[in-house]
Amino acid sequence: MTFHCKDLERALAVPELLPDAREHAKVCEACRRELWLWGEISALAPGLREDWETPELWPKIRQALVAEQKAAKPHGLRGRLAWGGDWRKMAGIAALLAVAISVWIMTYARRAPAPAARQDSDFLTEQTLKEVEQTEAAYRASIDKLSRLAQGKLAAAENPAAIPAREKLMVLDSEIDSVRSTVARNRFNAQLQAELSVLYRDKQDTLKEILQSAE
Amino acid sequence: MPLAMAAGRLTARSDADLIQASRRGDLSAFEEIYAAHAGRMKSVAYHLLADRADAEDAVQEAFFKIYKAAGAIHFESGLAPWIYRILLNCCYDTGRKRKRQAESPLPVDPPAISANVPLQVAIRHALARIHSQYRMVFWLFEVEGFRHSEVAAILEIPEGTSKKWLFEAKRELKRLLTERRA
Repeated sequence: MTFHCKDLERALAVPELLPDAREHAKVCEACRRELWLWGEISALAPGLREDWETPELWPKIRQALVAEQKAAKPHGLRGRLAWGGDWRKMAGIAALLAVAISVWIMTYARRAPAPAARQDSDFLTEQTLKEVEQTEAAYRASIDKLSRLAQGKLAAAENPAAIPAREKLMVLDSEIDSVRSTVARNRFNAQLQAELSVLYRDKQDTLKEILQSAE
Repeated sequence: MPLAMAAGRLTARSDADLIQASRRGDLSAFEEIYAAHAGRMKSVAYHLLADRADAEDAVQEAFFKIYKAAGAIHFESGLAPWIYRILLNCCYDTGRKRKRQAESPLPVDPPAISANVPLQVAIRHALARIHSQYRMVFWLFEVEGFRHSEVAAILEIPEGTSKKWLFEAKRELKRLLTERRA
């Protein structure tokens, strides 16, 4: 193959053509300079890396994690809320909890014939629980459907700007898994059910944002 | 089995062990993860935020999130891409916060590419002028030494796109550096 200066760009993209380019560069000053520069960009790049000492960084992280562990140990749910919950989330949980308790009181507590049949107000009755679980299953199915639609949009996007949305979904999924496993061990706890609802709603909002931004 | 492959497996296994231990609350295991990645994470964060204090904040936040989300990791693409995805997210958050806090944000022009500076400095200046996607791939591959498969996993793009963006980055840099000489 006869190599010309105009072939240089293609040779830089296709490594198999580089030997021809180097051969040509022996007799072409301009191409020799271009090839040299191409190599120097890669050779000098590692020197751009920023390194500096931060001896105080790990102790700070460790301190925060120890505090987190301490907060999480006696009250697992409280610890989780302290980390992930801003006031809006807390307010949402409180509102949902209030609604759940009100519904329970209106529907069942008034009908309760004897004090012995009453449950602690923090706990759901078996029947209410069934309804909650059915609703949650239906809600989860609709979010999964939404999720499949959004995943298609996210996968199609080759833009790093899509990363925050993916990351948020990942963290939300992790939180949902964590709360669901706690709920599985304590199905009657209304607070946990309320927290799960908030997380699902957060996921739903995130998915909606993704779909809207893709339109 | 080739040595590199064996080493890769060993790393993956020990990463998994460290994450498992961290999940159980073992902070010394988590410190090992920190020791292995913090230096490079600071460099990546500094590249995005151009401020050491902000970079340290982003890395700190990232490690906090990594610890919290340790249960969600999938090891198909290794630990590093997952960690760096979280870091990038924290950097974007920190960048957004910084923008909001700035009272009178002044648009910062990238420095001019002078013919009188060493080539490495000129490359740094030229990098500020190329497309952010190309710049990110260049930084991860050429500066931080990630493989294309890792860059692709971090940025959640196809490996071919990573290669293409790297080529575009270098072509742009070459053009800008050639112009400065002219």
